[in-house]
Amino acid sequence: MDRRTFFKKGLGASLAVGAVIAGKYDNLFSASYPADDLPFDLVAVKGGEPDVMLAAGMKTLGGIGRFVKKGQKVLVKPNIGWDVSPERAGNTNPKLVSAVIRQCLDAGASDVFVFDHTCDNWQRSYKNSGIESAVKDAGGKIAPANTEGYYHEASIPWGKSLTKVKEHELILSTDVFINVPILKSHGGARLTIAMKNQMGNVWDRGIWHRNDLHQCIADYAAYRKPALNIVDAYYVMKQNGPRGVSVEDVVTMKSLLISTDMVAVDTAATKLFGIDPADVRHIQLAADHKVGRMDLENLRIKRISI
Amino acid sequence: MLRLKRIRVIFALLFFSAITFIFINPGEIIPARGLLFFGSTQIIPSFMRMLVYFSAASLGFILFSILTIFFGRVYCSTICPLGIFQDIIISIAKRINRRRRFKYKKQYFTLHYSLFAITVILTLSGFVILLDILEPFSNYGRMITNLANPLIVMGNNIVNDILGSLGYAIVYEIPMLNLNLTAVAGAFCMFVIVVFLSYKHGRLFCNLLCPAGAFLGLLSRFSIYKLKIDENSCIECGLCERVCKAGCINSKTKEIDFAACVGCFNCIDGCSEKSIHYRRRLGKKNDAPKATDSGRRQVLKSSVLPALGMLLPVVQSGSSEGKGESGYKENRKHPISPPGSQSVERFTSLCTACHLCISNCPTQVLYPSFLEYGITGVFQPRMNYDISYCNYDCAYCSAVCPSGAILPLGSLKKEVQIGQVQFVREDCIVVKNETDCGACSEHCPTKAVHMVPYGEALMIPEINIEICVGCGACEYVCPAEPDKAIYVKSNMIHQKALKPETKKAEQEFDGSQDFPF
Repeated sequence: MDRRTFFKKGLGASLAVGAVIAGKYDNLFSASYPADDLPFDLVAVKGGEPDVMLAAGMKTLGGIGRFVKKGQKVLVKPNIGWDVSPERAGNTNPKLVSAVIRQCLDAGASDVFVFDHTCDNWQRSYKNSGIESAVKDAGGKIAPANTEGYYHEASIPWGKSLTKVKEHELILSTDVFINVPILKSHGGARLTIAMKNQMGNVWDRGIWHRNDLHQCIADYAAYRKPALNIVDAYYVMKQNGPRGVSVEDVVTMKSLLISTDMVAVDTAATKLFGIDPADVRHIQLAADHKVGRMDLENLRIKRISI
Repeated sequence: MLRLKRIRVIFALLFFSAITFIFINPGEIIPARGLLFFGSTQIIPSFMRMLVYFSAASLGFILFSILTIFFGRVYCSTICPLGIFQDIIISIAKRINRRRRFKYKKQYFTLHYSLFAITVILTLSGFVILLDILEPFSNYGRMITNLANPLIVMGNNIVNDILGSLGYAIVYEIPMLNLNLTAVAGAFCMFVIVVFLSYKHGRLFCNLLCPAGAFLGLLSRFSIYKLKIDENSCIECGLCERVCKAGCINSKTKEIDFAACVGCFNCIDGCSEKSIHYRRRLGKKNDAPKATDSGRRQVLKSSVLPALGMLLPVVQSGSSEGKGESGYKENRKHPISPPGSQSVERFTSLCTACHLCISNCPTQVLYPSFLEYGITGVFQPRMNYDISYCNYDCAYCSAVCPSGAILPLGSLKKEVQIGQVQFVREDCIVVKNETDCGACSEHCPTKAVHMVPYGEALMIPEINIEICVGCGACEYVCPAEPDKAIYVKSNMIHQKALKPETKKAEQEFDGSQDFPF
């Protein structure tokens, strides 16, 4: 017996209310991001604490105000997949998450929301990752994403493997989407960085795993492009990812990568991790989809040491 | 003057609210210790725990046995949630029909104690079925878990939707994963029976079916203080008999059948002449039987436990990969008991199915069984990896179990193997579709499931049974259809899981070098 069916039947009427208000979620497509006039395509920072590296990196891009306008609602999407402590590097560094939120609020954002469709129990993951308290301390709002009711269906007509997704309502109802992944090893996808982190935007991930994981990641990346990607590489899980077994899996890289281009930032992070970007198939597939560029040598990269 | 009834009502409402609340416990407001405290006040779970090992949680049994030896079955109207629940029904019935009166009845002594004897024999033989069906705390727990909680969750979700559509996020949507309709039906049947009996016949359940009532009734025969009618001041008005829910006062003969008295004190309060008082028992000194001395425990250990081994076939888990499609279904025949229960046999012979662990399981992986454990294990919890998986760092169920069927584990939980991972290679996405997947390995907390190279550029899961804890994360997330390619096979006797060993990760970049791009 399907428990969810019971649950949904019991709530049929109230879910319909949700469907009606879903109609207003169209602002994201009309938003334009000032990516073209940025001074750099990619900013790589190393040697500092997460908040210091973020401040330095965003400064060279002209400040977060180029992405977040006064009064806008912002979504910050870290990786909060696992019920592990911050030093295990299974989730985005909470210091980075709070620094991003503070910058957004300083730039005049009306609200900053944070969520992730966690793998482990969501309440424990939110709490033990340190992200829940980091969000609250910074003045953001952490939102649940644990039941299907929060997700709304969208189709990806050009998707090669992924043609339908159910995305979290906050992706649709906010004005600016900032992707804040952590760089980690990953048993299925080789690495999880910016594009892979977006799997936490959607409800049913089994479909992705069944239908060529890498192609699905690339298909969704072509559909949903964050305004900004801030890759946490302070602590990096080098093995046994994405959950990890112990702190033995983690090395300290003290780095941060920022770009509007998910492919570029994933390519750079892959090199930082120490493997060939060609071995991470979804990066190549996303480049084929024209999501972004893998040819780092032709990009304007700012490298900062702190 | 001390008004016993008022004190009883205040205590009853406090306990009733607390015990109701521990089965709801939203957001883990009450820590595990608190849940265990209230669970331990319950006489039968507390007794079961004493059979297993002596701890503070066994004190409930001793304390309330002693109280009964002094003052009779005060427990039944003050501590027992099902008793108080019946009192609430009775008071509603009185409001509906104001002329409703109770009458003295001869108690169903033979029937009640025959049933009690059968229950005791079955329980000591390892078949808790009758105890599970009749035990008041567990019945109440099952009603809250399977009837009230789904309604509370639905109410919460409707409120959440309404508030959400208005732009407020005060509550959040709660999934109801571990709802088993057979358990709902079972709890509903008992709910109907208890409501019917109490509405029509007062506390008949307690004096006909309840094993705790039978046991405390035995003790209260020998109570040092008993309620007595003062023959001199009694005017035979019959007021006391009218208000006696247990029907144990005969106002004609001015006698109280104290063994059936549930200690509600309504008679004391109702008597216009103040003729009913606790009186010290005349004659011989207290010779109350010590019903649960070490001799009885010895019986259980020496005769019952080996008998268990014969009655229930022990199936040792193999350690090979599942063979083909048949392996998946064949090997999943045995249910997986929660960590801390040590073995399926031990668990099913001790659990009273109160569902405290089920209603408090953070991942909702604990699920009421139906016939998976066999007929004697109906409604006892099992791990259900179709709906969720067991959190590696969580040992909540073992911390709250009042009966000791699940023993406290704490951090030792990570070393207990409740089942073993089995991999069916030919069903795996990587083999079938020739694409990467790795969902199982992703979720594995110990890397008992890890990825190894497959073909030119793919990775495929490989299993290491020794470090598997049997949490079921791999099985839960495996996207293969129709049969999952990875699953957990029950360890009928739980094993020790070796600690995962990992080598320190190699570091090439530490921030001091130039970026490699």
